[in-house]
Amino acid sequence: MIMKILWPILTQTGRNLRQTIASQIMTMMTVCLSVLIFSFFLLIFVNLQRSGAHLGEYLKLIVYLDQEPTLSERALLEKQIRDFAPVEQIVFTSRQEAFGKLHDQLGPDSDLLADLTPDFLPPSIEVSPARTLTALGNIKVFSDFLASLPGAKKVQYGREWIERLASFTQLIRLIVALSGGLLVFTSTFMVSSTIRLTVVTRQAELEILRLLGAESIYIKAPLFLEGLIQGIVGSGLGLLCLHGLYWWVKSRFSGQILLDMVAFSFLPSIMVGLIFVVSILLCTFGSLISIRKFLRV
Amino acid sequence: MSVLSLGSSGRFAPALRFPPVVTFPKTSGIQNFCMESIPPKPAIVDFFKVSKIYSPDVVALREVVFTVRAGETLFLTGRSGAGKSTIVKLICALERPTKGVVEVAGQDLAKVSAPQRQAIRQQMGVAYQDFKLLSGYSVAHNIAMPMEVVYTPKKVIRDRISYLLDTLDLSAKRDVRVDKLSRGEQQRVAIARAAANYPPLILADEPTGNLDSVTTKLVLKLFEQLRRAGTTLIIATHDRSLLLNSPHSVLDLAQGKIVSYQPAADANVPALAE
Repeated sequence: MIMKILWPILTQTGRNLRQTIASQIMTMMTVCLSVLIFSFFLLIFVNLQRSGAHLGEYLKLIVYLDQEPTLSERALLEKQIRDFAPVEQIVFTSRQEAFGKLHDQLGPDSDLLADLTPDFLPPSIEVSPARTLTALGNIKVFSDFLASLPGAKKVQYGREWIERLASFTQLIRLIVALSGGLLVFTSTFMVSSTIRLTVVTRQAELEILRLLGAESIYIKAPLFLEGLIQGIVGSGLGLLCLHGLYWWVKSRFSGQILLDMVAFSFLPSIMVGLIFVVSILLCTFGSLISIRKFLRV
Repeated sequence: MSVLSLGSSGRFAPALRFPPVVTFPKTSGIQNFCMESIPPKPAIVDFFKVSKIYSPDVVALREVVFTVRAGETLFLTGRSGAGKSTIVKLICALERPTKGVVEVAGQDLAKVSAPQRQAIRQQMGVAYQDFKLLSGYSVAHNIAMPMEVVYTPKKVIRDRISYLLDTLDLSAKRDVRVDKLSRGEQQRVAIARAAANYPPLILADEPTGNLDSVTTKLVLKLFEQLRRAGTTLIIATHDRSLLLNSPHSVLDLAQGKIVSYQPAADANVPALAE
């Protein structure tokens, strides 16, 4: 029974696709390109996020203090820091400990310190922030907070590098959002235009179908399916192209310092599935807009 | 399977089904007397004081009243502009009356919902004056369309197309695009499409306007087969020769008004011959 109803609808859909084949291909290619652009920048963004988290493991902020804090002051400072932002670890280093470290680092040249007392070295707090890019992005704010702590003289970290990474991540985030907008616009607008073209091309036929008593589903379903097919083919091709591009980059640049540093990997399968489903939904939404706007049944 | 059961395949709401045609035995004088107690056949088409005025003030129909009963054949006659085509368009809900009520199978066409209207249209076969064929498609495809919209199995469609093409002498044109056919051939395709789905009601607007005498006979033969099977026929024609010796109802129109109405039993053959 289902095939009895489905078969004529599928036949009509095939006929529609054949009749406007040039515009169908154009639409599918546009959807494919939009998906490719969006998912490409998303791939970069996701990898940057991963790299940020990876690099975050090594990131430490050192707060130099003007005076050795007492135990109660240490506890208070630690509480203030933990209340402000999530941190992995807080380590207090006294003048004596710092001196010992320097002694060890100098190794055979440690006799240089022979006439010196630990007083020339400041006590410090070593803060390891949580391993998230959000924390990395907000590292400047965090550092400003640490600088404002009572007794803090100076805060030291790879500020310039962190700021560059944060602004680059922000830029990629913006591009992802813009290409997402492009995907929404092209998928709905292009599909809607193609369906409109189909409606116009088949105006006479649709009119006759109406006169012959064709039910609404018989007339609308092929147009709806057209949008669905455009979504499936367009986004499927786009994601396939992205996968091809990923493997090409991976094989072409493997072993190079940059790729090794950022641990380049493909989008998680849930994200791929989501892009695929959302693109299809956008295309079917585009076809629904045209059906509602231009088709009177 | 009866002719009507194919037309009303049970997918429609019962209220929308055309009433079943009561099959009367061949009548003799005694039987005629007995039939007076038999209730009249149900009305398929009812016009209640229907007027149609096209913008700005072209009056196509003025307070037309008539009823077509199940299994009846009605000829709408009159000169060009008399209102014949308007009646056909009103019955198939292609136009709305300016005043009055048009009922098909007991349903007021002005009040039915879109799905109900489509369900009614599925049970009508219409051969339009301008054919309304799909020019880019073959003869077979055009005839198949009304069967496809009610999801008729492919084999049934193939067989029905073959039968209709044979009946109307179009077998050789089966796969020819309709825009490559002559006007007369296109007209026969339109008639074949109207009859394709075994509809309980067939409307034909000038069905023989482009046909020669031989093909006219083929079309009339098909109509006669359908009539005998119980189909209600409404034929709009200005060709009075079709009505010669016709025992059917005749509604004569002039300038949108009914000039005369001759029910089937009283068909005035000599008057038409004049």
